[in-house]
Amino acid sequence: MTLADREMRAVDGAEAPPIAVPSVDAPPYDQPVAWRHRHLLDVDVLSWPDIELVMRTTDAMHEVLARPIAKVPALRGRNVTILFYEASTRTRVSFEVAAKSLSADVVNIAAATSSVTKGESLVDTVRTVEALGAHILVIRHATSGAPYLAAETFSGSVVNGGDGWHAHPTQALLDLYTLRSRLSGDGETSLRGRKIVILGDVLHSRVARSNLWTLTAAGADVWLCGPATLLRGFEAWARRGVAERAFRVTTSIDDALRDADAVMALRIQRERMASGLLPSLREYAARYGLTQERLALARPDAVVMHPGPINEGVEIAPDVAAGTRSLIEEQVRNGVAVRMALLYLLAGVRS
Amino acid sequence: MSAVAPSRSAGAVGDIVRDLEISRAWLVDPASGREGPGDIVITDGVIDAVTWLDGDEASGIDDRGVVAAPGFVDLHTHLREPGNEDAETIASGLAAAAHGGFTTICAMPNTTPALDDPGVLESIRAAAAASSSPMRLLAWGAISAGRSGETLAPLGELADAGVIGFSDDGSPVASAPLLRNALAYAGSLGLPVAEHAEDPALTAGAEANEGYVATVLGLRGWPAAAEESAVARDLALLAEVVRDVPTARLHLTHLSTAAALDLVRRAKAAGLPVTCDVTPHHLALTDEWLAGARRWAWDATGDPWADDRQAIVAPPYEPSLRVNPPLRSVADAAACREALLDGTADAIATDHAPHTSVDKVVEFGLAANGISGLETALGVVLAMVDAGLVPMRRAIDALTVGPAGVLGPAWGDRPMPRLVERSTADLVVFDRSASWAVSAEALASRGKNTPLLGRDLPGVVLLTLAGGRLAYEAPGD
Repeated sequence: MTLADREMRAVDGAEAPPIAVPSVDAPPYDQPVAWRHRHLLDVDVLSWPDIELVMRTTDAMHEVLARPIAKVPALRGRNVTILFYEASTRTRVSFEVAAKSLSADVVNIAAATSSVTKGESLVDTVRTVEALGAHILVIRHATSGAPYLAAETFSGSVVNGGDGWHAHPTQALLDLYTLRSRLSGDGETSLRGRKIVILGDVLHSRVARSNLWTLTAAGADVWLCGPATLLRGFEAWARRGVAERAFRVTTSIDDALRDADAVMALRIQRERMASGLLPSLREYAARYGLTQERLALARPDAVVMHPGPINEGVEIAPDVAAGTRSLIEEQVRNGVAVRMALLYLLAGVRS
Repeated sequence: MSAVAPSRSAGAVGDIVRDLEISRAWLVDPASGREGPGDIVITDGVIDAVTWLDGDEASGIDDRGVVAAPGFVDLHTHLREPGNEDAETIASGLAAAAHGGFTTICAMPNTTPALDDPGVLESIRAAAAASSSPMRLLAWGAISAGRSGETLAPLGELADAGVIGFSDDGSPVASAPLLRNALAYAGSLGLPVAEHAEDPALTAGAEANEGYVATVLGLRGWPAAAEESAVARDLALLAEVVRDVPTARLHLTHLSTAAALDLVRRAKAAGLPVTCDVTPHHLALTDEWLAGARRWAWDATGDPWADDRQAIVAPPYEPSLRVNPPLRSVADAAACREALLDGTADAIATDHAPHTSVDKVVEFGLAANGISGLETALGVVLAMVDAGLVPMRRAIDALTVGPAGVLGPAWGDRPMPRLVERSTADLVVFDRSASWAVSAEALASRGKNTPLLGRDLPGVVLLTLAGGRLAYEAPGD
């Protein structure tokens, strides 16, 4: 039984209570919203009803984005501060577009241009942005766990925009949303039995870690695949994982891709060669690059994803990335709607 | 009525204890191996009488109440003076040690400047004297000049000045030839080399014990093999050196892995002159704590996320848990206790590593390594004893005669830790039936960096006497 099944099954077999989708034109704090998390630091704490609420609220945000004026006043007067300690374009802009589509005020801080370079500590920086009026703080940091430190200081809500190797909750939720819209049948919300492959540099990937929690929660048959040096530690995790969180780890790309429903390729960084984890990008591309030829092992309707940014010709062939099975642009579009949903839900939490 | 019944306060810290009676306590004398109910009378700083009680007199006294034992000895203490007095001064470190029941501490030389020169030792002794603390402060000298790992410090001059041995602790001696030379040179001086066993190439950038918890948390793995391979190298060098220098001795400090302890077990069986210690935190805490679990190692499963995360009661990535060597697996903690039980581990040493909040209340991966441990060591050890895992006698041995034995000749002309008549009063009295809440205010150390803040620990130190003088007395009612 998957987490989805277990948590959606009501007591004594009755129908599960319906997820009440908020009316997103109105502010969240004007209506009852069944969201109880003050922060979004990781997906591991989300129950299946929590995840369902995010998915349904994202549907509502898509409806907003399809309007001629793609904007609602829901977060008017709320300040969303985006504090990024790592270079990023797509995630930062996605949060910014999401916040603006909800009419929030947006402050962008790139750590390279702030007093962080003068040695200001994270705790001091968080206190400062709070004093400047931030209600929601979106933080990206190269150190795993940094958003937890921010959350202990900040009196509003903290959203983890990616921390070290640890977590990228909004990416995992947008990936789930994207997969769900393609792979689930009518009325089906889970991904039960669907074979989903996460391919590449799993060791350094916060995207892989967060997707492990959400995809296994949805009941998917998750396979991690890559060179042994980039899977280090995951076999131990797989062995530990309780039954409903089971997943597979393999270095064989053929075993991984055979009959897969979806393949998520991860970015390979050049530093991996310097640290001796990989012989060369060429060898990686030859052995683990996602090509049309390899993709033929997967199911005929299998889809391809990538969290970006892409190294074309390394982890994914250009014709696969731009091909008909690619959901990469859809991931980007869904990213805005999912982040709108999350900002909206977090803004409704009463402290 | 308190079992410690001085007619008045024992006096001021530093004063000779003129007249004190410790009545109806459980006495532990590791040197003779004797323990049981008894009274102690102290006059003018000397144990005047030890009366062992039996029959009706002894009724109602057991080893779960007030206990009197020789003062504890810590082989591994970081004081931050000179160089980082905001984190700890010699005076605050000595006060913390007294509060923890220690009467002798051995300072590590990784100060700024490092203790690689007799002049630094002089300044440390001057600071200890100025503190008017009666505690015995011993010091390790650096192995390499400036702890650079390149050339030998003046080991002979340092030995003449009175160091107890040599260590580059904080860092391993990465160069095998240098360690080999240090073992031989220090051995010829009759002093041990204390090695922090770690292969630094395997732990570059490492944040947490490599394994399930680190993988889930996305922390850079610190493999057990980095300790095991360093211990194997160190033992191979020792075996080589003792053929020429039979007085050479190696002490491996803060061992944390089952495999490394097993290597030491076999080396001891083979007759190599090696000793080792384990820390309270490696005996009782595991890497589960990084995920927010707070259960003792003996109650842990290794999977804090199982059973709907019931074990997770605190936020993850608490930076006070960052320590070198890192908190290990449940099996490694059990191996540390096994080593303590079978004598593979000679001593419990705190690796007391105080830090300022500036260095410690930061992102986990940027936090300084170390736990402030002098004042929580007894409580953590007693929690282990209370759980029935290690007898109290063995635990007290490992805090007294065990570390004194590691120092061997360097222990000096003082008698081994003991509770016998006509010896200088150097002892601790603690109440096992009481507990205390660890808080920043309760710690005498400037280093408030302990993951035990907010926790109740068993065993309240009532009195610490060092060298016949009062070192610590619990506040009265």
